[in-house]
Amino acid sequence: MHMQPTSSMKEEFLQKWQMGLQIYRPLIDNTSVSERRKAIKLSADVAMASLRRGTTCWSRALIQKTATEDNFLVRQMLSGIKAETLINKKLPKVMCHRKIVRRSKKILRRRKSRSAIEEVAAKARKLVKKKTQGLRNVVPGGEFMSNDVLLIQETLDYIVSLQTQVNVMRSIVDAAEAGSERTAYYLGKLKFAIEDG
Amino acid sequence: MDLSGRFGARSGNGVPFREVTGLESLHLGGGDEFRQMVLPENGGGFTALLELPPTRAVELLHSSSSSSSQATLHSVGTLTFPSNPILMERAARFSVIATEQNPNGNISGETTTSSVPSNEHIKTEPAETETSDQAAVEKQNNRCGKRKDFDKKVNSSTKKKSKSSEENEKLPYVHVRARRGQATDSHSLAERARREKINARMKLLQELVPGCDKIQGTALVLDEIINHVQSLQRQVEMLSMRLASVNPRIDFNLDTILASENGSLMDGSFNGTTMQLAWPHQVMETEQSYHHRQLQQPPPQQWPFDGLNQPVWGREENQDHGNDHNSLMVGSASLHPNQVKMEL
Repeated sequence: MHMQPTSSMKEEFLQKWQMGLQIYRPLIDNTSVSERRKAIKLSADVAMASLRRGTTCWSRALIQKTATEDNFLVRQMLSGIKAETLINKKLPKVMCHRKIVRRSKKILRRRKSRSAIEEVAAKARKLVKKKTQGLRNVVPGGEFMSNDVLLIQETLDYIVSLQTQVNVMRSIVDAAEAGSERTAYYLGKLKFAIEDG
Repeated sequence: MDLSGRFGARSGNGVPFREVTGLESLHLGGGDEFRQMVLPENGGGFTALLELPPTRAVELLHSSSSSSSQATLHSVGTLTFPSNPILMERAARFSVIATEQNPNGNISGETTTSSVPSNEHIKTEPAETETSDQAAVEKQNNRCGKRKDFDKKVNSSTKKKSKSSEENEKLPYVHVRARRGQATDSHSLAERARREKINARMKLLQELVPGCDKIQGTALVLDEIINHVQSLQRQVEMLSMRLASVNPRIDFNLDTILASENGSLMDGSFNGTTMQLAWPHQVMETEQSYHHRQLQQPPPQQWPFDGLNQPVWGREENQDHGNDHNSLMVGSASLHPNQVKMEL
């Protein structure tokens, strides 16, 4: 299940990303660099998330997040019912419960016995919990994954998808930059040719 | 998807928990309701799954059955197990505040026999007939078998447990055979099972993230994972910035050019990291190869010859410089004539 990005994944990502970029095409002339960057990133994110077709928590969370920035794009990219259900999903109620649980645990913890070994183990556990919370902050939708097994599974899938995204985007960008260099080179040559008569 | 309407509190036993209805509810035999219940769990941390209340366990252990129900169960089983990630996510969403701990120390055999990727169980309702109860126990055993590929230790111990639990008919307690030197507390058993699941997945993560194999300790590994994810996210930002600043037409039109040639796109393997290192050489190579292809293979589209010797504007997709089967993109793209004029 967990693997390196396959070429079929990359191809699908590219197609979906293109589809997303198409939506921005009418607006090319009136955009700044930062606006274009945002458009590129958003369509890439939705493309990456849509590869999972709503099966993973992070992909749904990412789509929801993107929808807050550009609802229209998401709707266009995800045709059909999926867009509606994903965008209109309410926030799970898990988050509130976790906070309450944590607070009550904190209160209980103060009564616990303090042997040396226990303290060390407790500190290690605390550290690990902190890190898992850090991981939750990084993975989209992580706050709603109270289950650690789920969190790690989602992280695995998310990393693979990110790698796919990065690989494809890098290829495109490098090709685009190479092309633009060559174009600029030839343009320069042409200018000289014209000026020299 | 509005979930609030599906939650219900079972007041029958006095212990509240949540259950999922909807497409998971099926009918066995003559109108029995077979509902899928998500096992509620303690919130947060590497903590154990919450066990079911004792009365539930008792019904599960009833042995009276009919063979027909077992047969239907197997088909039902395949129907009622949608893809695991969905179930897992639901399990995560439906987790509740910890209910009171089970003082009897029973059941854990059931809790730990769930198949690896899913944290859910399929349990039957107390109101149902005994046929479905036996079927549920059968299901536990089936899933026991499925776990063979994964944690073997747990599998063998849970198999023992489920067998012993089958024998204890109509008893309020489940006598569980614990492994040597470990507590029989159902809480800790379930917790151990979960921990093993987590460790298995952490191993996978370590393989995925470069440089994690040598690190000892969960916290540091998690650190590395977080850094890796953040670096990937930053790379995405950088790449989108680079693409945006290249040329407005290129980043949006380029893809239409690509779209017209779909099917021949990515035959080779992408190798972003190696590409970065070999990029300077790659540029040379691609220039030459483009010229080659220009001569050998007339592109499908019209050449914008405005008397300029306009270069072929192609896309290099395959960065796998080491292999011989470099499948560069078939058919190079050309700039639109309008585009060329405007750029001039």
